[in-house]
Amino acid sequence: MANLLFYLMGLGAVIGSLLVVTSKNPITSVLSLLGTFFCLATIYLLAGFQFLAAAQILVYGGAIMVLFLFVVMLLNLGHPEEGSGLEFMNKRRMPFAFAASAMLIVLTFAGVLGQGSAPGAVELAHMATIGDLAGLMFGSFLLPFEAASILLMGAAVAVIVLAKRERTQAVER
Amino acid sequence: MTVLLATILKVVVIFGALISAAGISTLAERRVSAWIQHRIGPNRVGPFGVLQPLADGIKFIFKEEFVPEGANRWLFILAPALSAAAALMSVAVIPFGGLITEIDGTPILMSIADLDIGALWVVAIGGLGIYGVILGGWASNSKYSLFGGLRATAQMISYELSMILCILAVVAMSDTLNLREIVNLQDSADSRCFGFLPGWNIFYQPLAFVLFVICTFAETNRHPFDFAECESELVGGFHTEYSSMKFALFFIGEYCAMIVMSCMTVTLFLGGFSVPYWSEAPFLIGLASFLLKVTFFMFLFLWVRWSLPRFRYDQLMNLGWKVFLPLALVNILLTGLAVSL
Repeated sequence: MANLLFYLMGLGAVIGSLLVVTSKNPITSVLSLLGTFFCLATIYLLAGFQFLAAAQILVYGGAIMVLFLFVVMLLNLGHPEEGSGLEFMNKRRMPFAFAASAMLIVLTFAGVLGQGSAPGAVELAHMATIGDLAGLMFGSFLLPFEAASILLMGAAVAVIVLAKRERTQAVER
Repeated sequence: MTVLLATILKVVVIFGALISAAGISTLAERRVSAWIQHRIGPNRVGPFGVLQPLADGIKFIFKEEFVPEGANRWLFILAPALSAAAALMSVAVIPFGGLITEIDGTPILMSIADLDIGALWVVAIGGLGIYGVILGGWASNSKYSLFGGLRATAQMISYELSMILCILAVVAMSDTLNLREIVNLQDSADSRCFGFLPGWNIFYQPLAFVLFVICTFAETNRHPFDFAECESELVGGFHTEYSSMKFALFFIGEYCAMIVMSCMTVTLFLGGFSVPYWSEAPFLIGLASFLLKVTFFMFLFLWVRWSLPRFRYDQLMNLGWKVFLPLALVNILLTGLAVSL
């Protein structure tokens, strides 16, 4: 039963993420991404990580995707004639996209094959309660955790800078 | 087997009670508004009009199903269902009462699920109700609906932050996310405030309580923050294009969300099903105590709606980001200091 649910949810997550990049309507993309997040949350639940599942739904499902929907609606991107998402990928950007994807694939397989070579993977495997998670996150792994948050912060600032430059160019034209 | 049967029975009873309570709330809304405005209100269907929700329901079912031209059909139908389902699901972890009975040594507690992440569950699943409003507003293909949906989105995100910080203050004090344990902690004798007041979190976290209650108004899109509907500007807001039972589902969702939020307020801040100074209160007394407190907060929702004017949208945003969020942050900081000392 749990196995069947796992495969169903895995299939849902894969189909959902494919729909995110291939669908023509941005709203469909956002909703597919939401569906993917739910499938992932169910997989976390099956693995016994209640807190992770709830955090996934709360943060990604409840806040981030609402924000995405808000932006899509505010910019009125909801018209299907805007073209497929794939058209945005021109030749200049293609190598970077491939490089990023290749890196993700390598990382994923390294995680799967290495089985616990990633720091913290062993401890997490038999951890269930929120207290244990908090102990790991704010105890032994405080430094990596904070480093990751600073990395994310840097990425957010970088995105704002990039987006802003594109905007002024568009106005000049 | 008997335990499974008891669980199914609990699910049926709690969901049935919640939907009935939502129906009764619509009547209460009209009767309370009439009372506040010196009118009589609906009193013709059944004694004192108590069968009015039933009559409304039958009317809604017989109305024409209508999908406007250019609307996204599937999302248009999905939206009200989402709105109601999210509110109904979030009630699953609310502890309505203590121990009902024991079957074969297994205690049967008056809540559908006793999750370790109870408080998070309510916020996470309840927060999904907003998708009903956004998608309904977008799928209707009407500018009024879209504006309603957009406003609801921004409002929801702004106030969810402060609300979660208020819950966090209680969680930090109680050291658990399990709602039943939070109630039990408030009930215990050594948590008494100043030695004589009941150990309710409202006495330890007055600021969080006030902020939380106001945030629940914003989260449920109720007056004075009901910008998603805002009849004077947006016709009917996100549900302008809705008719028949789909329209009614939005309302069931809204009233269920109000009830769940009242339950959360009572559970987090007012000792839930515990009775002050009577720790070993029997199950029914505990349940009655819980329902009494929830009824008060439901009345507060109606009372505020018919007493206060609507905010302006910029006032709402200023209040959320420039007043509530800093206050909630200061509160969590002070709570953290107090807990760690």
